[in-house]
Amino acid sequence: MERKMQKRVLCTPYAMALVSADSRIAELLTELHQLIKQTQEERSRSEHNLVNIQKTHERMQTENKISPYYRTKLRGLYTTAKADAEAECNILRKALDKIAEIKSLLEERRIAAKIAGLYNDSEPPRKTMRRGVLMTLLQQSAMTLPLWIGKPGDKPPPLCGAIPASGDYVAKPGDKVAARVKAVDGDEQWILAEVVSYSHATNKYEVDDIDEEGKERHTLSRRRIIPLPQWKANPETDPEALFQKEQLVLALYPQTTCFYRALIHTPPQRPQDDYSVLFEDTSYADGYSPPLNVAQRYVVACKEPKKK
Amino acid sequence: MSELKDCPLQFHDFKSVDHLKVCPRYTAVLARSEDDGIGIEELDTLQLELETLLSSASRRLRVLEAETQILTDWQDKKGDRRFLKLGRDHELGAPPKHGKPKKQKLEGKAGHGPGPGPGRPKSKNLQPKIQEYEFTDDPIDVPRIPKNDAPNRFWASVEPYCADITSEEVRTLEELLKPPEDEAEHYKIPPLGKHYSQRWAQEDLLEEQKDGARAAAVADKKKGLMGPLTELDTKDVDALLKKSEAQHEQPEDGCPFGALTQRLLQALVEENIISPMEDSPIPDMSGKESGADGASTSPRNQNKPFSVPHTKSLESRIKEELIAQGLLESEDRPAEDSEDEVLAELRKRQAELKALSAHNRTKKHDLLRL
Repeated sequence: MERKMQKRVLCTPYAMALVSADSRIAELLTELHQLIKQTQEERSRSEHNLVNIQKTHERMQTENKISPYYRTKLRGLYTTAKADAEAECNILRKALDKIAEIKSLLEERRIAAKIAGLYNDSEPPRKTMRRGVLMTLLQQSAMTLPLWIGKPGDKPPPLCGAIPASGDYVAKPGDKVAARVKAVDGDEQWILAEVVSYSHATNKYEVDDIDEEGKERHTLSRRRIIPLPQWKANPETDPEALFQKEQLVLALYPQTTCFYRALIHTPPQRPQDDYSVLFEDTSYADGYSPPLNVAQRYVVACKEPKKK
Repeated sequence: MSELKDCPLQFHDFKSVDHLKVCPRYTAVLARSEDDGIGIEELDTLQLELETLLSSASRRLRVLEAETQILTDWQDKKGDRRFLKLGRDHELGAPPKHGKPKKQKLEGKAGHGPGPGPGRPKSKNLQPKIQEYEFTDDPIDVPRIPKNDAPNRFWASVEPYCADITSEEVRTLEELLKPPEDEAEHYKIPPLGKHYSQRWAQEDLLEEQKDGARAAAVADKKKGLMGPLTELDTKDVDALLKKSEAQHEQPEDGCPFGALTQRLLQALVEENIISPMEDSPIPDMSGKESGADGASTSPRNQNKPFSVPHTKSLESRIKEELIAQGLLESEDRPAEDSEDEVLAELRKRQAELKALSAHNRTKKHDLLRL
């Protein structure tokens, strides 16, 4: 896919910038490969120690008593295992950071190309995107939202899961947000949008509807913009960064690009799981839809006092 | 040696993630040589797999830390059940981020306590409580420290007064001394400008001229004719103004003669009959006066501009004679200052300012010497 794009735009001066970005990406990919190899080395090394620990545990359990000898030995083994685990974590984090770096480079490139308008129709710009493709993209974006794995003692940062953004946070161009726009008939709706720019002078965002570039660009004040989370919260380590049962949220209705009010049914159990939510729906007897799955990326806190 | 059931350790299963099963892409990438490299489309799946590996490694790390802590505590305070309980409480209290599943496991494993964590502290007796305080000393210490803040705040507030004088401060003082030198230019009083009534009259006329030009231009665009007013330029405007002023002055004054002349006349007039020539000590003036008188008796509409310069010279000559005669003290006319109240006021204020700044300067010098 990348190679095709290269061929088509090679003749323009913009191509030079693309090529240099490409080479940087290639560099980063090589580095990533090395990091992954290092990770595995580290893991296989520490494997040995873990096996020892396992053996000692078994022996202690069979002997049914804990001698000081065993205790000291266990302590030593644990310390080594701790050091190994830390080293493994470090390399894994480096690898994940590298992936994030590559992704941000790709994202920058996409935004620059969008502005320059050099994309061909066969590339996936919003203009000619079909519904199915858009939905797949949304799903992918939700899946690849980085997981926040803090070191022991780290607190989840703002925009991780349910943790709100800090008061003076300004969304960057390319960030996805939930935007409250007024439709032609006067109805207000929360839509999924991408930030184009922010003006400090007027305190307003310019956003694009994620569905179709043909739709007009909206200019909205900060109060009408909710930034979507930039990390997933890990239920195993930071459950407090997740929305709890019965909490009122704005969630993206499946197969659409609009947010609606919903109650949390169940928070995710594992990092890759989705929230299960009940959308407010007057067409059902109890006023709520059956539980539907929505990814962590598309669930934000609801600020509206009553339904519009 | 303690029994196994006394051991608070948990014997976690520290198996690492089997990457062959759980992380296929990761495994595939590993198998590749450097030349093949990674494709961009593989990034997403790689990211997910790496995240899985990382989360399991972090979990392992945390558990290991907890277990080592227990082990250390246990070894240090061997043989005392209460301490074991405390050790576990310390674990439960201190790291809340370790997640619920682990906490529950630890509590479950406790062969000692009657039930879950919160119930346990209540069932303790006094002695362990004291020891518990030792453990929980750290959290209590923290609130104590802020309470002792008052003396710190006091010293912080007094500091600016007691601090040593730094070279920076000396420098700022010297800089402050410099400005007094360039005040001289502030003292210059600009010369009296045109009186505002004149200026405004001039501006108004210019305005009308412009309006006239615009109106005329609009009306006579094709012909290219301009109104009479537009032919005037500033000089003409000035002349026009002077004419109107001259016209104004005369009716206001009612009399073309200077103030001194008027007073003299008034003094000399005994009855309503104006006969200045009789008592006038200035014979050569009489001709002029009669001339001027003639001008006054004749209708004022004529020769107005003519009599104005006359009366001025008349005025000054009368004044000179009177001074020579000793009838009038020589007034030291201090230029226009006495008439100009604004100027007088300005001078007064400037004098004050000079005195004040001189005073300030001496004070600053004193400070510098310190």
